[in-house]
Amino acid sequence: MDNASAQSLDLSRWREAPRGIGYRRWSIVATGLRQLLRTRFFKFVLSVAWSAGLMIAVAGFVFSQSVADGGWLQDIAVRFGPRTEALFKVLSGLVAMFPDVVVHGVFTLIFWAHSFLGLWLSLLVLTVLVPQLITRDRGSNALIMYLARPLTTADYLLGKLGIIVGVIGLVWTGPLLAGWLVSMLFATDRDFIVYSFAPLLRALVFNGVSLVALAAIALGVSALGRHERTTTVVWMGLWLLLGIIAAPPPAPDWFKRASFTHDLSEVRQEVFKLDAVLTDASAQLPLLDRRFATNLAAAGKKAEPADFNGALVSLGVFVVASSFVFFRKLRPE
Amino acid sequence: MNATASAPSPAAPVRRTPDQFIIEAVGLGKTYGAQRALRDVTVQVPPGTIGLLGPNGAGKSTFIKCLLNLESPTTGSAKVLGVDIRASNRASRERVGYSPEQDCQIAGMAGCEYVTYCGQLAGMPFRTARQRTHEILDLVGMGQERYRLVDTYSTGMKQRVKLAQALVHDPEVVFLDEPTNGLDPSGREHILKLVGSLWRDLGISVVMCSHLLRDIERVCDRVMIIGHGRLLEHDSIAGLKARHRRIVEIAPASEAERFQSVLTEAGLAVVKLSSGKLRVESASDSIEWVLELMRAHHLPPAEIVSNPDALHELFIKSIAADHG
Repeated sequence: MDNASAQSLDLSRWREAPRGIGYRRWSIVATGLRQLLRTRFFKFVLSVAWSAGLMIAVAGFVFSQSVADGGWLQDIAVRFGPRTEALFKVLSGLVAMFPDVVVHGVFTLIFWAHSFLGLWLSLLVLTVLVPQLITRDRGSNALIMYLARPLTTADYLLGKLGIIVGVIGLVWTGPLLAGWLVSMLFATDRDFIVYSFAPLLRALVFNGVSLVALAAIALGVSALGRHERTTTVVWMGLWLLLGIIAAPPPAPDWFKRASFTHDLSEVRQEVFKLDAVLTDASAQLPLLDRRFATNLAAAGKKAEPADFNGALVSLGVFVVASSFVFFRKLRPE
Repeated sequence: MNATASAPSPAAPVRRTPDQFIIEAVGLGKTYGAQRALRDVTVQVPPGTIGLLGPNGAGKSTFIKCLLNLESPTTGSAKVLGVDIRASNRASRERVGYSPEQDCQIAGMAGCEYVTYCGQLAGMPFRTARQRTHEILDLVGMGQERYRLVDTYSTGMKQRVKLAQALVHDPEVVFLDEPTNGLDPSGREHILKLVGSLWRDLGISVVMCSHLLRDIERVCDRVMIIGHGRLLEHDSIAGLKARHRRIVEIAPASEAERFQSVLTEAGLAVVKLSSGKLRVESASDSIEWVLELMRAHHLPPAEIVSNPDALHELFIKSIAADHG
């Protein structure tokens, strides 16, 4: 090489071995997330999501104080009078005697409630993200820029999938895990860790199922067209319109299954097994008056999944159909 | 900024020798339904600056896209930089750059961010990619505009940033599809100079698609002509010109009539062009005989150009032969 000429072009040379495919895929993920993090909307959603995580931590911490003899929760109860103090002692006794029912039940309820917020926030962010995933690259021909590099369609899709995983991790999985971890750091008893672990795993399973379904649907919808507006409309239609149509109880089963949010609700009920938690509580816990126990059992009955298998099959169909769309549309162009 | 002096300098790249082909295609073909976009292209292209010529829809872009695996070839095989494009899909594009004809920017990114990202996608570490990005953007003539969103760029700026993304990872061969489209005259001049110096100064081979024959003639040392998906010609520009009838154009400063009569008396077929120039068919590439005639007949000075539109004529001839 003529070094003098190279200097006249004022250009350094790069002849190191290129980094591996994992790094390149990660570059797609990191850049996608960085672009999203610049928006005020995503910052706002993140603040809501992590506030919810903080609330899990606070709820877990307060609950764990119920068995701390001489703890601050007891002090407060004493200050409010003998009735409150008695109530505290009952709760404390129940936790000590039936940790498998009470700790397990309370954490199941907390995580179950959080799954609504997590799913909703994920859907909200995906509404903004879906048009930016593949639609924009197809519309602006940026897809060629990716595929003319040492990347395959599969690498590109994995990168885009990584963005969705990152988003759901940031607004749902992250706050869930962090909330649980922080609450366990201050737990006064080992039982809290042991008996809250199963509900946490269930929450993570539901989180995982939702992630797979949402990621496939989001990629499929995003690959469908070249216009961002059309993609947004299709996504909103699938999420909101079908969700609303499937909501009324008299709607036929096949109609309900056409809504992936309805299907996810069924999966949620099955995974969390809230019905079993409520039924166990009504059957095993003493000191509950009969009416309260009956109400608890009735609530458990209501929480049973109505069509879990159908919902699961329907989600599978969504995933397969979406995969078909994005693999078909993303053949090298 | 002179990064060559300041940056730790990696081993200088070895320039490919003429027998180390950058492109080797054997029977490469591509069909879309009943339409055959590329037919049985067999070619071995040595390194250098290669012009890819052909009328619209001739298959130039399809040829490039097949080499980059952006289109799957229907028949045949090909190697880019000695790597089989089918057997080693990713590896065949490891040291290849591509600037497509159409825009390919990512909305919502600043120019320098976009080029850095492209470098990372080619496997460059972030810091190196960022450093090379700024050098390349300087090179293509982009100033502070690099910090603006690519969405707001003019056509010329988009063209420059496209060229920058193709060069950021220091490829060994770069495919440029109409790289001067949308550039103003000074921008075009700048980019052509840069393209011309890539092989000469840095050893980066260039395959340049363009409709502007003069651009090709100016910066390329080889030409491939494609028509109806077939490779019609492939040779060095000098070789092509040698095969072509030799033409000399003379633009006399004065006494054009006397010039014409002297040339006619010398037994030459002279055509007077509307521009006032005299076109003469010559027996050799040399213009010595014209100078000799001018000296002998005390003719006034004149601008003499040998083979002025050789490429143009050859192009038209090749395409006509393909049609006929």
